[in-house]
Amino acid sequence: MKKVSFVLAICLGLVLMATGAFAANATQNLTVNATVSARATLSLTKSSITFPDADPDATPSVPANENAVSVTAKVRTGSASTATLTHLAAGDLVSGSDTILISNVTWTASGTGFQAGTMSKATAQTAGSWVGSGNNSGTFSYFLANSWSYATGSYTASSTYTLTAP
Amino acid sequence: MRKVSFVLVIGLGLVLMATGAFAVTATQNLTVNATVSARATLSIGQTSIHFPDADPDATPSVPANENAVSVTAKVRTGSASTATLTHLAAGDLVSGSDTILIGNVTWTVTGTGFQAGTMNKTTAQTAASWTGSGNRSGTFSYFLANSWSYATGSYTASSTYTLTAP
Repeated sequence: MKKVSFVLAICLGLVLMATGAFAANATQNLTVNATVSARATLSLTKSSITFPDADPDATPSVPANENAVSVTAKVRTGSASTATLTHLAAGDLVSGSDTILISNVTWTASGTGFQAGTMSKATAQTAGSWVGSGNNSGTFSYFLANSWSYATGSYTASSTYTLTAP
Repeated sequence: MRKVSFVLVIGLGLVLMATGAFAVTATQNLTVNATVSARATLSIGQTSIHFPDADPDATPSVPANENAVSVTAKVRTGSASTATLTHLAAGDLVSGSDTILIGNVTWTVTGTGFQAGTMNKTTAQTAASWTGSGNRSGTFSYFLANSWSYATGSYTASSTYTLTAP
């Protein structure tokens, strides 16, 4: 009778072990990290535009030869942050001692987030605005208000586009 | 036998370092060029004028029926350059074998830069002069010195206005 009880106890133990009643666990945590920083790249397909001579009566608004200029603005920023593209002219169009106010140059825009505007040498003008990260593409087309009052010459002005990802 | 199970606890953490202190910018330069060439357009309100018959005693200076004739001169030139409008008659007033010297026709003017004068078949006469570009408007009024010595007839003469933008 004792022998039977002992055998039964051993069998019960084996069954319990097989079912994991005596299983043991050990754990180790692993933390995974990723860093995503603010980032910005800007690309315009033209670094220079030219307005040709035209009859002010026939062509009151002169389009640049290079229209439409493709623009790509890639940004990484906060999901609720606003990335902006601005334009600022260094000065007026100048030919020797003659000038044409840079505010006579305007642009239209295509593409989500891109904005039309008027060139300014005093205040950076918004040319694009997007909330959150992304790869944004569009075009700018430039126009010069024509006038009989312009002196003859070859005019030039420098300007800069700045893309900011906060 | 102890069964050891390793349970991996994965904690996924994204660390977004999106603070203003880490804002980035990208820039792109754009050069703006414009060409302005010399240009001139001339518009005169009448292509023909007519001096009616009149009593030389009562009307020693016969005004043309079309007075005052509007003139518009548009020029683009250098800021220190002089644009000029001249008039040259092709010959005297002629009716068959009879003539009236073209020098008997004079004009008066209104408008900045416009100048009065006497018609001449030999030397172009200055009718206007301006410095630099612009859109100028004025009028010409024509007069025929009347005389009892004129033979009867229907006289005609051709002439040309020339606007020059250097």
